[in-house]
Formats: sequence, C-alpha cells, structure tokens
Amino acid sequence: MITLRGLTKRFGSTVAVDALTVDIAPGRVTGFLGPNGAGKSTTMRMILGLDRPTAGQALVGGRAYRELRRPLHEVGALLDARAIHPVRSGRAHLRAMAHSNGIPIRRVDEVLDTVGLDGQAAGKPGRTLSLGMGQRLGIAGALLGDPPVLMFDEPVNGLDPDGVRWVRQLMRSLADEGRTIFVSSHLMSEMQLTADQLVVIGRGRLLADEPIGEVIARGTVAVRVRSPHPDGLAALAARLTAAGASVEAADRNELTVTGATADQVGDLAHELGVRLHELSAHAASLEQAFMELTADSVEYAGGPTGGGAR
Amino acid sequence: MSTSTSTRHGAVAAEWTKLSSVRSTWWTALAGLLVMAASAGQLAIYAANDNTNDDPTDDRGIVTVGSVLIDSVELTQYVVLALGLLAVTAEFTSGTIRTTLQCTPSRGRVLLAKAAVAGAVTFALGLLLGGVGALVARPVLGEWGSAPAADTIGDIVAVATYLALIGVLALGLGAALRSAVLTLTVLLATLMIVPLSLQEPDIDVLNRIADVFPGVAGGHFLAGDTEPYPPVVGLLLLAGWAGAALLLGRAALRRRDA
Repeated sequence: MITLRGLTKRFGSTVAVDALTVDIAPGRVTGFLGPNGAGKSTTMRMILGLDRPTAGQALVGGRAYRELRRPLHEVGALLDARAIHPVRSGRAHLRAMAHSNGIPIRRVDEVLDTVGLDGQAAGKPGRTLSLGMGQRLGIAGALLGDPPVLMFDEPVNGLDPDGVRWVRQLMRSLADEGRTIFVSSHLMSEMQLTADQLVVIGRGRLLADEPIGEVIARGTVAVRVRSPHPDGLAALAARLTAAGASVEAADRNELTVTGATADQVGDLAHELGVRLHELSAHAASLEQAFMELTADSVEYAGGPTGGGAR
Repeated sequence: MSTSTSTRHGAVAAEWTKLSSVRSTWWTALAGLLVMAASAGQLAIYAANDNTNDDPTDDRGIVTVGSVLIDSVELTQYVVLALGLLAVTAEFTSGTIRTTLQCTPSRGRVLLAKAAVAGAVTFALGLLLGGVGALVARPVLGEWGSAPAADTIGDIVAVATYLALIGVLALGLGAALRSAVLTLTVLLATLMIVPLSLQEPDIDVLNRIADVFPGVAGGHFLAGDTEPYPPVVGLLLLAGWAGAALLLGRAALRRRDA
C-alpha cells in the first residue's frame, strides 16, 4: 500500500506535483500515466525519500521511506536504468545492494536468473550494458528484497517485444501474489494490457484514479456510419447536427458521429429511409481517453488562476 | 539493537563492495605507491646531496627515514585523497547515489559507512606507502640517514593516520559539493594554497590562522612539533576538520534532492 496525502513538490515557482492524494492498493497493477513533465518521476522519487516533498506526505505501508531501516524488504524500485556505475559489474552492483539490507548473497543469482541475465552479462561493466539489460538489472535490484511494494518507472523502455511481454507477465504475477505494483509508462497501449487501475496526472494534478475500464468508458464513443447514398447520408448528418451530435464526414459515403449512440443513429437512419452498409460503435482507446483527460488539464492550467508558464 | 548493528555492518559491507569493485580504486592505490616511491627517493637524494658535514663524530645533518616519509606525504596525499573523493563523487556522476539512498535512507548512516571504508582503506594504504617509502629512502640516504625502528614505525603509523583523516575530509567535502573537480579545488586551497598564502608575509596573526588549517595542523602532528601546539592538538584539529566535513556532507545529503 502506497499512501499519498496532499503530496506537493515545487521547484522554485514551478509546481511539479500538486497536492496529490491517492492510495495505491495491493493486489493489482496500478498504472501511472501522464504526459512528459507531468510529475510522475518526481512523485516516485518522493515516495522513495529521494526528493523532499514541499508539502504533504508519501507513505509506504504507513511509514515514511526515510524511516525504513531495511527498505529493500519493504519497497523495490526501478527508477533509472541508466544509473549504473560505468565500470562496476551488474553483479557487484546487486551484491552491494544485498549487503546493505542484510540480504543473503545467493539471492543475487536468484534474481539475476529471474530477470534472465546470465553470468556473462552480469559480469560486464555497467557502461557496456544495453538499455534493455540495464532495465533487467534494475528490475533484479527491485526484486532483491522480495518486497510487498514495487515501483517501476517506464520499465519496458528499451526492451524487445519478448522483454515487453515478460515484464507484463511479471507485473501480473507479482500483483497476483498480493503485492502493490505501481508502474509508470508513456505507452498507453501497454497500460491497457497490464494495468487494473489507472492514476492519471497532468501538470502535477490528479486527473483520474479509477479502474481502467472506467477511464476508457469516460472517453468519447464514436459511431461510424457508411451508406451507398451520399444524399441520404447528408440528410442524416443534418438531422444529427440539429440534435446536438457532432458529425465528421470521412468521405462521401462515411460519417463519424460523436455525441449520439449507435441506436439513436440507426433509428434516425430508419426514419429517413437511408440504407446503411455499416453502423458501428467504437469505444475510445485508452490513448484517446488519456489525450482527452490531459488536454483538459492543459486548458485548466492555462486559465487565469493556473499561474503556469502558458 | 541487533537490527541496527547489522544494518550498520551491512552498509559498510556495501560500501566496501562498491569501492573494491571498480578498477580506479586499485589504479589510484598503485599511483599512490609510485608517487610515494618517487617522492621519497627524490627527497632522500636531496638530503644526501645537501650534506656537506663530513665530520663522522658529528651527527648533525643526518636525517631520519621518517622525516623523508613525512615530507613525501605532502605530494602523495593528493593521490590518496582521490580515493575518499571518488567514493562519493562517482555516485553523483553515475546516478548510483539514488540506489545507495534507496538501500540506506539514513544519510548519516550512508556517510558514516563510506567514511569507515574510505578511512580504513586509506589507513591501510598509508601503512603500505610508509613501508615502501622507507624501503626506498633508507638505501638512498646511506650514511646520511638513520632509521631507528620504533621511530620509523611510529612515523609510518602517523602518516597512515594523517592520510586516513585527509581521505575522510575529502569524502565529506565531496558529499557536500558533489563535483570531483570542485571538491579537489577546494581541497587544494584548504590544504595548501590558503595556508601558504597566509604564511608568506610571516605575520604572527596570519601564521596563527594558518596553523588551524588541516594540512598545517596535520603537518605539525606528523613532525611531532611542540610549537605552536603539541602534536596531539594537530591531530585533533585535523580530525575536527574531517568530522566537520562529514557533518557538512550529511546536511547537504539530507537537504538536497538526490
């Protein structure tokens, strides 16, 4: 369980994280979404006690990270896969981590095995590791203390498709074991496949904290209409517009309607006697839902009380 | 209580793993040995050549191996303090400081563990350097040198102690300043440039101020001077500087975002 209460971080006059209050519950994968610069990494760094909050608190299992004695047993985190010493080997990196928290050294080989780094890769100097290998090393470090809470900042960056699938399965199985999994990603499609719950932020503000299905449901549902009769379609478009829906003509034979259900569009077409070849409802992808949410936040921040750069 | 002890040991073991798993540590130690050997050899040649007192019954002009060692440290210390410096500044350069603080959130504990390791390593290296310096200087000095065993061993231990404290001073300052270049600049100023400038005009007040600086205090300790204060005061002054640097480093680590 991760608890954020009014968590705020200001850098000078810039508000990076703005009064964030969220509970990240165990037993599921919580996706952490937001555009670049939304404050995701800053939030994660505050949870780990690396950045000091300007106000509010971030608690892990009810305690502030800086108070934890052997934190690797409580929270595992992958923040920046590039933060490896250029000369030190991955194995030595993990050994140092294990020593610091009284974790048996044999555990190092166990987690290396779990993330699929063989002895040769683990013995190479940090600077020679690819981004993908760095990610795997970082995940190995997160798993070292077998913690109930795990945080990953953009974990699939630099991974090949096999690696991406592996991370997805790993998150799933870790959540199924009852752990709290908090993952940030800019890949919306990835979140759609992995996350149960979404926390969306924009400009440091909480925009949504909902099951993933609800976030998608909030997105616009579009209805596609195709007809072999352009004139009938034009009449249908006029009636829909008059009824308050918004209509876009893809070409002479196709319309995209938002603000009306497929049932309403179908009934209207029947009433007008327009022959249809297609009538289909399209749920917005997470990507679209996300764009809509964050577009709002940009407008909001640009308002007279926003005080932002724009 | 036992958890506290084990995490302290753990943090020390972690720091040792980090320091010993990078080659630069060993190259720095080797460089220190070479500089010590060269410096001790050169100073021993000077000491032998400068001697013109040929009266065998008069022992004035004979220098001890220990004094050559102590003079050699003035140059060698800059190689040795790199160990303390890099143990912390490399963490900021590579970003591993975030992993370190994730593993050990207590900033004071991290810095103490680093200081324990850097101090122990530079002390051990100091003993080795002292031994090597003595082995080089003794034959070069020839008839103009003396090496009473107890005094020489005492000087070697003093040199190691001095280097360990300078290593910790560099470490604490590195934690506060983060950059290796900046830290080295400040160290050069504190150990050499500022006190030398103060001593230059030979004005009593300025000399007294210079005596408080870590390099000068350490020098008085090493030389066993009784003026301007007993050697133990020189040692305490140097230790005070090292402790103050650690406190400064801890404050910076606590206050700043990693």
